[in-house]
Amino acid sequence: MTPVDLHLGLPTSRELKSYRVWDSYFTPSHSHPGPNGGDRLIAEIERSLPAIGKGHFEKLCYFPHVGIGTTSDPAFEKAARDNPELILRPLKRWPQMLLGMIQLNANDVRASLDALNRWLRDGPMLGVYFPGGGPGALTCTHQNFELLVKRIGELKGVIMQHTWFKTGGKQGPGESTPAELAKLGARFPEQNFICAHAGGEWQRGIRAVRTSPNILVETSGFDATAGFVEMAVRELGSHRIIFGSHLPSRSLGTELSKITTANISAGDKKLILGKNYRTLLHPILKTKKP
Amino acid sequence: MMNRRELLQGGVATILTAGVVGGAAKEVPQFDITDTNLSLFQWPFRRLPLDDTTLLIKKMRTLGITRGWAGSLEAILHRDIVSVNGRLAGMCAKYPELTPIGSVNPTLPDWQGDLFRCLKKHKMPGIRVHPGYHGYTLADQSFTQMLEQATKAGLFVQIAVTMEDPRTQHSRLRAPDVDLAPLPGLMRDHPGARVQLLNLRPRGVQIDSLAKIPGVYLDTARVEGTDGVPTLLGKMPRGRVLFGTHAPVLIPEAALIRTHESNRLDEKPLRSLLAGNAQALLKA
Repeated sequence: MTPVDLHLGLPTSRELKSYRVWDSYFTPSHSHPGPNGGDRLIAEIERSLPAIGKGHFEKLCYFPHVGIGTTSDPAFEKAARDNPELILRPLKRWPQMLLGMIQLNANDVRASLDALNRWLRDGPMLGVYFPGGGPGALTCTHQNFELLVKRIGELKGVIMQHTWFKTGGKQGPGESTPAELAKLGARFPEQNFICAHAGGEWQRGIRAVRTSPNILVETSGFDATAGFVEMAVRELGSHRIIFGSHLPSRSLGTELSKITTANISAGDKKLILGKNYRTLLHPILKTKKP
Repeated sequence: MMNRRELLQGGVATILTAGVVGGAAKEVPQFDITDTNLSLFQWPFRRLPLDDTTLLIKKMRTLGITRGWAGSLEAILHRDIVSVNGRLAGMCAKYPELTPIGSVNPTLPDWQGDLFRCLKKHKMPGIRVHPGYHGYTLADQSFTQMLEQATKAGLFVQIAVTMEDPRTQHSRLRAPDVDLAPLPGLMRDHPGARVQLLNLRPRGVQIDSLAKIPGVYLDTARVEGTDGVPTLLGKMPRGRVLFGTHAPVLIPEAALIRTHESNRLDEKPLRSLLAGNAQALLKA
């Protein structure tokens, strides 16, 4: 039997295509790429393809581990350092669809600076992801961020910082809140930062970055709570909001509907679903052109 | 106001519209849709875009949701449950697609009276409980007695396992997810009981455990992952997963899209999920 090709709850294909969706937060096999340095990562990208097709996504950005201690697997870390082809595997298979930003380990500044040169300056990556958990996590107000953010800025890289405001407090020592990202952002007013998940508890998260014009919020990673995007547009403006899918561990339904169903203009939706992200990426994309 | 026939016809038209892809009409199956996890009125912690029932109904009709089992968000904190259920029944009477699901709080004196009114006065097919906000566990004697009486009366019981991710709850009003550990014993002691768990985000081993308990049903409102819904359907016995949105707290389109985004469900299981299983539960 053929699975039913439905569009219940989705805008029309024509409308979706008009949004030119660029996904800033694609998380296949996010904490470890799996056996053989990437088999699970490839499988999870394949698992996401039906939803990517239904959403008419143009591009998705994922966050590879590059062997600088962001996983707890020494064998993988060594393999990633010794064989960069492992890291490039998804980009080579889906060159038109995928973008990449490396996961940085702020606990190891030396290795992270080397990785920036290798993967942003000399390689295909467009920015960095600072994780909120795992061995690479470090609260973003730590002094180790100074050198890293400065170098990322020199390379015109984009910064995605994982953030959550959790009721009851942090669940890990390396987590960052939007308020902490606002402090970091104030020290680097010329650098843009993406506040991943808008802090999860977005009513506080949006307020925490409201007066930080160089901080944009990313929309994934929490339930499809009604009213989020409307508040974000009201308080930040649609030019400071960036769509993320969190596929495949979260769903197209949860993440895309936050924007497509919001009571905002079609122009605002276009900004959030792709244009803002393209604007952020533009400086570093220019450096990659042959 | 539309009658049920007009409403159903409207739903069909909506579904045909939903099949318009790139401007060209595309044949898609027509689906009846029952949302088993709706709520009316205001969420205590912020205003929601669809917390006006008129707007919620308009949205349901746009999406082709032809029936909705509606509880009351007032029941979370109010203790005058008689008036809560009265307002709910009154509002549902205005809209043919709504079926009221009254709330009962077994920690309140004479909760039996509330149960009786749900059954006799409002003719409700089931009740909804909020152990997380009302401060009891499924092992408490009051809940056991309530389940027993509801089952004897032919009512199903919806347990709101959570109403909001614990990580985002108000710091002064935290309600942990309901502990389901007593459920196997409870269901064994009450054969014939029908219990639907709302807003559960089931995980691997838990799904296996729930699958073994007869009479336990789930909804899809917080089932995550791009293929989470078909995976859940594959693990639960047939007929035990019902479509639910948790609107207006959550965006209803989210749950709808999740039923088909991975292209893994054929028409028959999709029909069962979207409406058939709910109708079967009502008749069980």
